[in-house]
Amino acid sequence: MNMYVYATLILVIVIATFTVARLFKLSVELSMFSAAIAAFVVHTRTLPIRHIVEGAFTYYDVCLIFITATFFMNILKESGAIAYMIRSIVKTFHRHRLLCLLLLTVVLLIPGALTGSGTVTVLTVGTLVGTVLTYMGISEEKTAAIIFLCAAMSAAAPPINLWAMMAAAGSNMPYVGFMGPLLILSLAGALFSMFYLGGKGKAVDIEKALHELPQPIEGMNWFRVMLPFAVLFFLIIAGRLWPFDMPILGLPLMFVISAGVGILVSPKKLKILEIAEETIHSLIPLVGIMIVVGILIQSMALSGARGLISLGVVTLPLWVLFGTLWIILPFSEGLLQYAVAPLLGVPLVLLFNMKAMNPIIALSAMAVMWPVGDSLPPTAVVGKATVMELKFKGRYTKFLRACLVPSLFILLLCTLFLIFSNKLSFLVAG
Amino acid sequence: MLNKKTLVAIKMVSICLSVIVMALSGIDFYKHRNYKEPVVVSEYVTQVRKLSDYFADLKDTINDCNIYIFEGSEPGGTVLLIGGTHPEEPGANLTAELIVENLRVKKGKVIIAIRANRSASTVTRPGDAYPQFYHIETPWGVKKFRMGDRWSNPLDSWPDPEVYVHYPSGQLLAYMDIRNFNRTWPGKKDGTITEKTNYAFMQLIEKEKVDLFIDLHEAELEYPVISTIVSHQRGVDIAAMTSMILSSTEFKIGMEYSPKELHGLSHREVGDHSRAISLLYESPEPFLDRVRGITDEKLLLTGKDPFVMKAGQFGLLYEKIDENGWPIDVRVGRHVSTFLTTLEMWNEFYPDLTIDVEGVPRYKEVITKGVGYYFRNPSEVPKNRVFDE
Repeated sequence: MNMYVYATLILVIVIATFTVARLFKLSVELSMFSAAIAAFVVHTRTLPIRHIVEGAFTYYDVCLIFITATFFMNILKESGAIAYMIRSIVKTFHRHRLLCLLLLTVVLLIPGALTGSGTVTVLTVGTLVGTVLTYMGISEEKTAAIIFLCAAMSAAAPPINLWAMMAAAGSNMPYVGFMGPLLILSLAGALFSMFYLGGKGKAVDIEKALHELPQPIEGMNWFRVMLPFAVLFFLIIAGRLWPFDMPILGLPLMFVISAGVGILVSPKKLKILEIAEETIHSLIPLVGIMIVVGILIQSMALSGARGLISLGVVTLPLWVLFGTLWIILPFSEGLLQYAVAPLLGVPLVLLFNMKAMNPIIALSAMAVMWPVGDSLPPTAVVGKATVMELKFKGRYTKFLRACLVPSLFILLLCTLFLIFSNKLSFLVAG
Repeated sequence: MLNKKTLVAIKMVSICLSVIVMALSGIDFYKHRNYKEPVVVSEYVTQVRKLSDYFADLKDTINDCNIYIFEGSEPGGTVLLIGGTHPEEPGANLTAELIVENLRVKKGKVIIAIRANRSASTVTRPGDAYPQFYHIETPWGVKKFRMGDRWSNPLDSWPDPEVYVHYPSGQLLAYMDIRNFNRTWPGKKDGTITEKTNYAFMQLIEKEKVDLFIDLHEAELEYPVISTIVSHQRGVDIAAMTSMILSSTEFKIGMEYSPKELHGLSHREVGDHSRAISLLYESPEPFLDRVRGITDEKLLLTGKDPFVMKAGQFGLLYEKIDENGWPIDVRVGRHVSTFLTTLEMWNEFYPDLTIDVEGVPRYKEVITKGVGYYFRNPSEVPKNRVFDE
């Protein structure tokens, strides 16, 4: 059989199996797994166990970073450090709306930037910041939109951007130099979202806000809040300052050590096993999807379907991509979540490279567009988490409408970064 | 909502399935990692040493590879040829093995490592669906080889750093490249196993007084450095002459300067940190292209792929490809002829350090007879001529 026909047939089988599985109410992860198994069986006429297991390990290191970073954030949350940070900001800056919003934006960006997950932002700081925003006279749907958009931008922010990491790994490209472009795009997106939606309103009702926020834990102070972050920063920097003497720890161990410091300086006794259990429990869907995406990619690489998608993408004219990626990327994220990075991201990076565009700027732009789609059905993981955590009572479409203008701003900015990637090459560093 | 009993049952079944899957795949991974490739050394070999003879830290590690030494009856120059830097590029280790099984040195010394980074030959890349083995037809049967990856096996070197800082230049590289044998030259005595292996080879270069160093590679057609000889600045005369001679007599091959600011690569660091002149050969391997179709042994060995051809029609490749593909015989043939021509040029430029060899076929012969023709049957020779890779 002609390879074009064959690979198309495999793609059809993958899509059909995925769709049927979804119709049978299977989760996205199980639906993708079913699609991968169907592709394997049709292509090999057997069940290639080795390929399934090998594929499952594709993003093993990324998963470990993801889990340990989230454990680190959860330790800080349970020790009261996050609540202390937010209460301090509100108490000190409640008369300066702009400064207050600016600092809350930074607080919202930290968890996702360290873990690569917008859901972690929503779960660790989203509710607390949401409470403050409500007492600043911001409507319910705008508050939810701010939390979602900042969470999406936090996932896009460096150092950990899972989309960029997965696409870079797939194209044999070092995940180096993304710091600048990712930081600018995610910061601009988060700040625009915060100030466009929350810029106007009343002064913070300090009494009510502080009453609503969790009470401070006795003994918590800025030293205890900052020390775990300082240790993490030191461990990362030490690898660069003394690279030939410092033992290789790896990011997962760095997060575990920093979490250990968080436990030691916590003013209250933490139930470590419970926190660890809760961390794993909350991450099962996300880790699950990373594992299944690896298996799916392996099945598609084996059968030629990945090559067909790559070929289809790299042979498209650039102007078509510039004109459509701002729609395609968020919607594909809504459909497939992280799977889009290796599936669409890798061939796009190769194409941009061949067209002499700056692949780091281009991939950074795409890696900021993808998380915007995390509010879109069918998956809408971060969007749903946001409305649930904030106990948003309105219709989901009302929340989506509130997200629209800032989302379009982010997508436009990223598209401009794509088009002018070469002129923005100076942003590539570290 | 599932009741507790059903949930427990599902969990138990899942655990059982996981154990079965782990056991079955574990057997495959174990077989791949521990498969030994028999090599029948040429009867003219003078010594077969281990890499750990040059750096004891590697003793009994996965990377303690064989070092095949061929000395002529007359003194001359010394060349070190390595294959298996990136074991996902089979043209390299097959060329090195073909030479080891057929070489006779009349003057000077030839040193060969077939699997320079054995660790990387014991793993295939997750997400890329590589076959674990490939098979070459020979007159006496089928010879089986391990397929590998670009990076050392994480079982031997893990975790990776947050960013890889190259020793000694301090240049920042991708974290996983700390396991890339061609990004870790000149190596580090107390580094990772990959860095230690580079260090061991640098010790070998010094102790054996190597004059010329050659590193064999293959590249995807989407990659600009392809069908070429990359040369350290001290070797450009030889590389340029080799390129000219080959392009006018056998096949087109280019020549490129090793970038001075790009660190960790053999063509840069071996030349900078030793007396040896360093060269790197690249031949085309469509199997490595991201736009490739079905990923299997057939593609690996024939180099035929309609998707890669289509990409070529859109001007997206740096090397031509047609329906004939890039068969393994052509790729190995290119490497052996480039090696032989390089030695001829070496002898012209350095007559006092002549390296005179025979027994190695050239490009056309390899294509006509096939690479398998040149591999010997391990069961038909004395055991002391058979070494495992």
